[in-house]
Amino acid sequence: MTTRSAVVCTWSGARGENLEETEAALTLARKTSAALGGNLHWLVVGSVPEEAPEIAQRHGVAALEHIEDPKLAGGQADAFVEALAQYCTAHTPKLVLFNQGFDIRLVAPRLAGRLGSGVVMNAVDIDVAPDGPLSVTASAYGGDTRVIYEITDAGTCIVSLLANAVTPERGEGAVRPTPEPVAVDLSEIEERVRVVEAAHTEGPRLEDAEIIVAGGRGLASPENYKLVEQLAEALGGLPGASRPLVDEGWVDSSRQVGLTGKITRPGLYLAAGISGASQHMAGCAAAKSIAAINTDPDAAIFRYARYGIVGDCLEILPELIRAAKQGS
Amino acid sequence: MRIVVCIKEVLDPDAVNNYALAGRLEIGEDGKTLTQTTIPQLMNGFDEQAIEAALRLRDAGADCTICVVSVGADPGNPLRHAAALGADEVAALTPPSSAPDSHAVASLLAGYIRSLGGAELVLCGRQASDDDQGVVPALVGEMLGMTVVTIARSVELGDGARLRITRVTPDGDEIVETDAPAVVTISNELGDPRYPTAANKLKARRVKPTVLTPEDLSLGADALAPRVVLTRQFVPTVQGNCEFIAGDTPAELADRLVARLREDKLLT
Repeated sequence: MTTRSAVVCTWSGARGENLEETEAALTLARKTSAALGGNLHWLVVGSVPEEAPEIAQRHGVAALEHIEDPKLAGGQADAFVEALAQYCTAHTPKLVLFNQGFDIRLVAPRLAGRLGSGVVMNAVDIDVAPDGPLSVTASAYGGDTRVIYEITDAGTCIVSLLANAVTPERGEGAVRPTPEPVAVDLSEIEERVRVVEAAHTEGPRLEDAEIIVAGGRGLASPENYKLVEQLAEALGGLPGASRPLVDEGWVDSSRQVGLTGKITRPGLYLAAGISGASQHMAGCAAAKSIAAINTDPDAAIFRYARYGIVGDCLEILPELIRAAKQGS
Repeated sequence: MRIVVCIKEVLDPDAVNNYALAGRLEIGEDGKTLTQTTIPQLMNGFDEQAIEAALRLRDAGADCTICVVSVGADPGNPLRHAAALGADEVAALTPPSSAPDSHAVASLLAGYIRSLGGAELVLCGRQASDDDQGVVPALVGEMLGMTVVTIARSVELGDGARLRITRVTPDGDEIVETDAPAVVTISNELGDPRYPTAANKLKARRVKPTVLTPEDLSLGADALAPRVVLTRQFVPTVQGNCEFIAGDTPAELADRLVARLREDKLLT
């Protein structure tokens, strides 16, 4: 049995899990486990992705562990927290690292509560001082600041990594681990929350869009949002929005990009009348390119943008729709 | 039924954001706190919506006592606001230090709820707009053995002790049911919170929150020992590298931008 110092935990039943983010977590946890002088484990809850052994090797994972139970198929928080609590109690890892998503946002702090241990969400980095505690850098004030937390707790630290915070880096490991089953006893668990009407997405998701056209306060009135929709359609993309538009009831919350909305990573993000508040940028800063239209040349959005137009989006958008329809 | 709403006072996030947008957000000499002393403190927006969720349950006919509680040296203003809105009891819990961590805050809140003899429903904002952590509700739930349902846009009372909750998920709305007691966190999709009437605001000025210390709540050293300590805060820098498109008319600007995006293969 190897010493676990850092465990990356992924759950096939959690919304928002994807292999790219798993690799980001493995990259960060590998660095942490090396600093702690222990091994990196990858604990898969639910079904094991086919590529898992290969990915595990590329990130120097010492052991690929696997918890499977019919009670863990999707979203069942009570079963998941119990399974992880049993795992942490039996194996006492120093760090359990999650990729933050809708379900993890609930179960990671619940696990910390169950274990009585320290927890940090919205993490973007982890440092370890020699023989010191874990220092976790996390986003705060909607991304306006970063805070560094020391987890002083001697037990297992629970950390949840923000999407797009770490660039995955591969480095060949010596072995290609095969999944090892880990036994947990969930016989006592009866899920307390019952889903009576499951969520269903209608149409394509912003998270998967290659092109997003997003509107903000600069649109000035709700009917102007149709310009954003028309340009998105002309470009073969999807329309998004900043939070004020959702709070004002102009658009449905499913369109909201930002820390409390969708975290997107399109090839092109076209921001019209958006100031560039950190809260919003948290949802689009991972775009390959951002193009921005804003009347204020000092708007924060231009610090993130690759292309900028200083001007009124209500004048520019109709022209962009025309230009887009003209073809190349 | 008893509903406990947990609230937090935070720096006005819009003001913080305006300083950040202007590039004038600064951290003080302690390396931890924002120096902008002109930024007002106010009730965390999601927590206001948690109070609103409680009031809507009452409006819908629930026979309930609403207790609003906050951890902090002087959360008087938000608690008076809660009283003006119709809270039956308001309580201020004295933290063990000036900057208690989530675990200590959750211990205080759980201790308070225990001291009331429990609650059928605990409502919290989905996260505080200062640290964005959103872990306290889950910790309280675990400490009290209550189930936790996050990111709700509506909470309704069904037959008996059944709660029907609509959650805002990345894939759209999800409706779940659970039996009380439960901790539920409220998201901005709940909608605007109401304002108190002028008469109730006046009346609430005389309201004195019940002040409770860790000793009053029989909390031991382990319950209050910090697990997580904030050691530093900083403002991240963003390296700007924007190519501004030049042009005299909107049409010219649009044509040139589209041409640039096609050139760089970002558009076909």
